[in-house]
Amino acid sequence: MQTDGGMIVRRRSILLGTIGAGAAGVLGLGSRPAFAAEISLLETGSTLLYPLFNLWVPVYTAKNPGVRITTQGTGSGTGIAQAISGVAQIGASDAYMSDPQMKRDPDILNIPLAISAQTVNYNVPGFNDANLKLSGPVLAGIYGGKITHWNDPAIVKINPGAKLAAHVITPIHRTDGSGDTFIFTQYLAASTPEWANSVGYGTTISWPPVPGGIGAIGNPGMVQASGQTAYSIAYIGVSFHKEIAGAKLGTAMLQNRDGNFVLPTPKTVGAAAAAVEDKTPADERISLIFAPGPDSYPIINYEYAIVNRRQPNEKIAAAIRDFLAWAVDPDGGSAAKFLEPVQFLPLPPKIAALSKQQIAKIGRTGT
Amino acid sequence: MRASPFRIGLIGLSGAVPGILVAVVLFLAIFSWPAIQFNGLGFLVGKTWNLGNLYANPVKVGGFLVPHGAQYGILVFIVGTLATSAIALLIAVPVSLGVAIFLAEGVPGRLRPGLSLIVELLAVVPSVVYGLWGVTVLAPLIAHVVAPGFNDVLGFIPIFAGGSATGFGLLTSSLVLTLMVVPIVTATIYSALQQVGNSDKEAAYALGALKFEMATRAMLPAVRGSIVGAVILGLGRALGETMAVLMVSGGAINYLPRTLMSPISTMAAFIVSQLDSAEQDPTGMAVRSLAEIALVLFIITVIVNAAARLITRGLHVGLASRG
Repeated sequence: MQTDGGMIVRRRSILLGTIGAGAAGVLGLGSRPAFAAEISLLETGSTLLYPLFNLWVPVYTAKNPGVRITTQGTGSGTGIAQAISGVAQIGASDAYMSDPQMKRDPDILNIPLAISAQTVNYNVPGFNDANLKLSGPVLAGIYGGKITHWNDPAIVKINPGAKLAAHVITPIHRTDGSGDTFIFTQYLAASTPEWANSVGYGTTISWPPVPGGIGAIGNPGMVQASGQTAYSIAYIGVSFHKEIAGAKLGTAMLQNRDGNFVLPTPKTVGAAAAAVEDKTPADERISLIFAPGPDSYPIINYEYAIVNRRQPNEKIAAAIRDFLAWAVDPDGGSAAKFLEPVQFLPLPPKIAALSKQQIAKIGRTGT
Repeated sequence: MRASPFRIGLIGLSGAVPGILVAVVLFLAIFSWPAIQFNGLGFLVGKTWNLGNLYANPVKVGGFLVPHGAQYGILVFIVGTLATSAIALLIAVPVSLGVAIFLAEGVPGRLRPGLSLIVELLAVVPSVVYGLWGVTVLAPLIAHVVAPGFNDVLGFIPIFAGGSATGFGLLTSSLVLTLMVVPIVTATIYSALQQVGNSDKEAAYALGALKFEMATRAMLPAVRGSIVGAVILGLGRALGETMAVLMVSGGAINYLPRTLMSPISTMAAFIVSQLDSAEQDPTGMAVRSLAEIALVLFIITVIVNAAARLITRGLHVGLASRG
């Protein structure tokens, strides 16, 4: 009897050992990407860039069958964070990284891929086709809780003739870490000293308490919340212009640095880009907000790929370099057939050259 | 006694469960220790959450390097968490009791398996599905029908007044949570009711009880402990629910809810929504403060659980002394 029991125990321990070895084998396989025949890249981040990546990836991977690219619209904050942590190979962001951040993670590159703009949209029944005029200080008043009704004198003053009624404004902001929040609050800070001194700007900020004001997740969440909430106001990336039109939201004319009210068009966005492109430094981290010039649209920005220049191996580095170089190429990803549907502008030649210099820096660990 | 591999394996596995729990708490406590020191008690009573200016150079405040203007107060999120969970349970518990009794006693035997399957299926629906339903169906309903109705009928009570522009907020979050809690609580109570002996039921009938009286006087007292357990289970889900609440809460920061329709934030949802931006804080204080929220959420869960268990024990003692 005793011997039998011992046998059973021994057999079980052998079985356990086999299972353990099997598990270790599986884990070992998983940690070796060299076994994979294809290279998989993960792109995550900005919901503003997400529609563009979804136009790019099928075309690019059809030409390069060895590369698989997964795209995710998770917000610029996630894009930056996961590019740094190594979860994603390409972080998409509407915001560049700050100086203190760059000091902490000096290997991270901020590579512009295109020029985007942001629209301020509103849902005021009867005025959604009218392009109401709004300015930085008025928006700062609305998001700061000082302007609470659509018939506030500050709004009426810049919209003479529009018979706005005394409806409560519902300001909608982004809950997730967002490059759209970054560029919107930069506009408020650049145009309104009071906002700059109290709230400031960032991918997430400490919103002043506006009872009734709500947060929404991602650009899709902003469009939906604004669409189903009368008398709301929201800031939304221009690549969502089709969704904005679908939700029948109004698009505001914004006051630029020269005092003119402008809509985002290729002409006004291009004028703003031309006014600031020469200031772009080699690492390309610069705000394009509130550019001077009579026609300049005030909220434009570079759309960034956030990439660690030290990748695990040369194969992955080469795949990232090739894809990004294609993305900024006027005959590749920056062709009109990709950028026009999302209403982005291609990088000016000078900036595209800077981006290519940065893309060339992507290598493997130890280089 | 010889220590067989089987025995050692079992001891190892059973030790792993409390071990992991202790490890998580230790990790949270150690990781958030600088934040605990920096924030002090103001963390629990402060209403302002501000990551500070992440684009300026960090400054030294009280010996800690933090972004300029950083301030971490989570009272708003504590209130949001407790309020949504409380309202959800307030609605969910009576509903669940009713559904469970109906399933156990009111349904013809042939239909019972199908109906209880539906309840169990509701319990495994991913929370993001409830969240999406909350955004597209419930929020507009609250904004256009429920909130104006409350304002007209009950508007003299401050928490019902004022209506809601968006439908996102306390009531919507609570209702979504209710929907997620009901299946769990119902399933747990239902399975307990099935264990009630026929003799107890027959005794009640013999005394002339109607079906309703039998259910409330004979069956429910017999499963009192299970009911409390089920409520704890539901409360756990409500306190910790993240995605669905994040989608319908309105993401309020820096102010407390004033009415049922006010936007709110809960602790779990807030951690998720802030984590990515917090990771951009080069000083790390923001992430550590988020870990401190997780620690506080854990402590609240433990306190609530312990309180519920004490109540159960009180009930048992009460029953025993009566008997």
